[in-house]
Amino acid sequence: MSQIQKNMPVFFMSGVLLIYGLIANSGALLPMMKYLHTHKTMDMQVTMCLVIAGIGLAGALINSFKEQGTSTFDRFFLQPLGGIILLLLLAMFIRWYAEPMVKIWSKALAPSFGFEVYKVLNLNYVILGLLVGVIVTNTFGIPKFAAPGVKCARFVLKMGVIMLGARYSFAELAKLGIYSVWLIGIFVLGTVFLVLWLGKIFNQPKTMTGVLAAGMGVCGVSATVAVAPVVKAKSEEMAYTIGTILSFGIICMFIFPAVGKMAGMNPVQFGAWAGTGILNSAQVAAAALAFDAVDIKTLKVAEIFNITRVLFLPIIVLVLATWFGKESGQKLTFKSVVIDKFPIFILGFLLLFGLSSAGLFSPPQHYKGKFIDVSYNDRTQVTDDEWVILDGALKEGKITGLNEAQMAAVGDLHKQRQIAGNFNERDDKKAFDHTGRVRMTELESILAASKAKQITLDGDVKAVISHAVKQVHKSSKTVTVLTDCMIWFFAFGLIGLGMQITKKAIFQAGSWPLIIGGISGIAKATISFFVVLWLVKDVVLN
Amino acid sequence: MSEKKTIETGDAGKGQTVISDNANTEELEERALSVFNSERNEDLTALVLCLATTFIVLLFTKWLV
Repeated sequence: MSQIQKNMPVFFMSGVLLIYGLIANSGALLPMMKYLHTHKTMDMQVTMCLVIAGIGLAGALINSFKEQGTSTFDRFFLQPLGGIILLLLLAMFIRWYAEPMVKIWSKALAPSFGFEVYKVLNLNYVILGLLVGVIVTNTFGIPKFAAPGVKCARFVLKMGVIMLGARYSFAELAKLGIYSVWLIGIFVLGTVFLVLWLGKIFNQPKTMTGVLAAGMGVCGVSATVAVAPVVKAKSEEMAYTIGTILSFGIICMFIFPAVGKMAGMNPVQFGAWAGTGILNSAQVAAAALAFDAVDIKTLKVAEIFNITRVLFLPIIVLVLATWFGKESGQKLTFKSVVIDKFPIFILGFLLLFGLSSAGLFSPPQHYKGKFIDVSYNDRTQVTDDEWVILDGALKEGKITGLNEAQMAAVGDLHKQRQIAGNFNERDDKKAFDHTGRVRMTELESILAASKAKQITLDGDVKAVISHAVKQVHKSSKTVTVLTDCMIWFFAFGLIGLGMQITKKAIFQAGSWPLIIGGISGIAKATISFFVVLWLVKDVVLN
Repeated sequence: MSEKKTIETGDAGKGQTVISDNANTEELEERALSVFNSERNEDLTALVLCLATTFIVLLFTKWLV
């Protein structure tokens, strides 16, 4: 009987999931899901809830009638089951309810504040997960039944880092050209060494300095998670690093566009600067759009500079493994650093990156699973009605104010009914692809000019062009699902990580990480500002 | 017989525990936060599970559709 009582929380949580799954399946929650903009995930919500409820009930039943043992099944399934289900339940609540609600409230409050709170404070599942974990641990404490499951958090975070590799492709790196890759590499390594040096000067623990160096140098959350096991960082040190990076990014988001405009940077220069100086990818995108919402080149350059940093992650892991080993007084040989110290899960990241670059998940030139396909295809044509609208507008001369190239692109869209290369170039794939992409860029520039009210475009014609552009932007379902897996792994892991952070630990860390992070961030932003102004001209992309 | 000492194992480890005085506390602290016996096992398991996930995702989003 006492065994059943011990498993009551697991029975209860599984029951809640089962009931929620059944109600969601009946469609009763659809209006609420539509309000929260989560209705597209309805099938996933039902499947996840029912599967997890089934596993939870089965596990709780076995636990109720079986003596606790030490077998692999006991250690890795039966004992941590309660904690795993609790973390999953919290992750579901955050992803399906808390995050969408925060977005809705932020948008509603935007007229009063003048900005959207969730964008500025970056209140996504990363921060919300950590916060929920910290709140649970510092109010109720970790429930006894959940303690072994919470220990799975770091393991699941590692799975998130491995999955991250599937989102990127070597083709993106190749686009930048060797000159820009050097520029990024120097800044990444420079920041890492600067933080390590500052840590030494301010006499900070090497675990904290190591993880902060990776976070400030590379790209925030994923780098922090990847390097933490190498430098034996504690949960609160990881959380502090994530907090420092995001706080610094918030300030940058406001300052960068203003400084860029004052300095008269062109879109490419600003993109390169924001992509180098700001760490979090969402904040990079926000700063690029704040600088120039019309020229998409700014955003594209900023994003490419930003993601290229992620690809330096394995190198930074090696650098920090060597540094940590030496600081700990170990004698290190090349073999001991590269083979013994190199974490296997980073090899997993590289493996998935390799598979992604080879085109297993999506065409090799994809970016986060998105790619452009300008080949002839019936499915990418505009509809007959849309073609009639375009035909009429051209005959009546309604489309005005465009330059020659833009007009030619519209003419070609009318002729081919889709964005594609020239038919007579179809055997030369490179030339065909290039022509198609140029046409797409011209059509995108028409939409941007219309948005900025530089030209007046008929609403129907705008819709036709917009649809044609959308048709050639494709996304790989495989990468989308793998990315979703990665987000779930991170959400689960970060809640668990938050649960390992006590008030005492937070106060012990003090404000030094913020100071070190601030100094290194400002140094990097200032130096990269001058370097970009001096070295980066108009064209950085091959 | 070696001396014993009491260490704080935090909330996840449920309070305090008594260990040998000459034990490697850093290693114990590390393992107290994981269900795995070693870092290597943890990494290998994460890798295998990720590859299995990737295979299943590929199966249902690419190869079988």
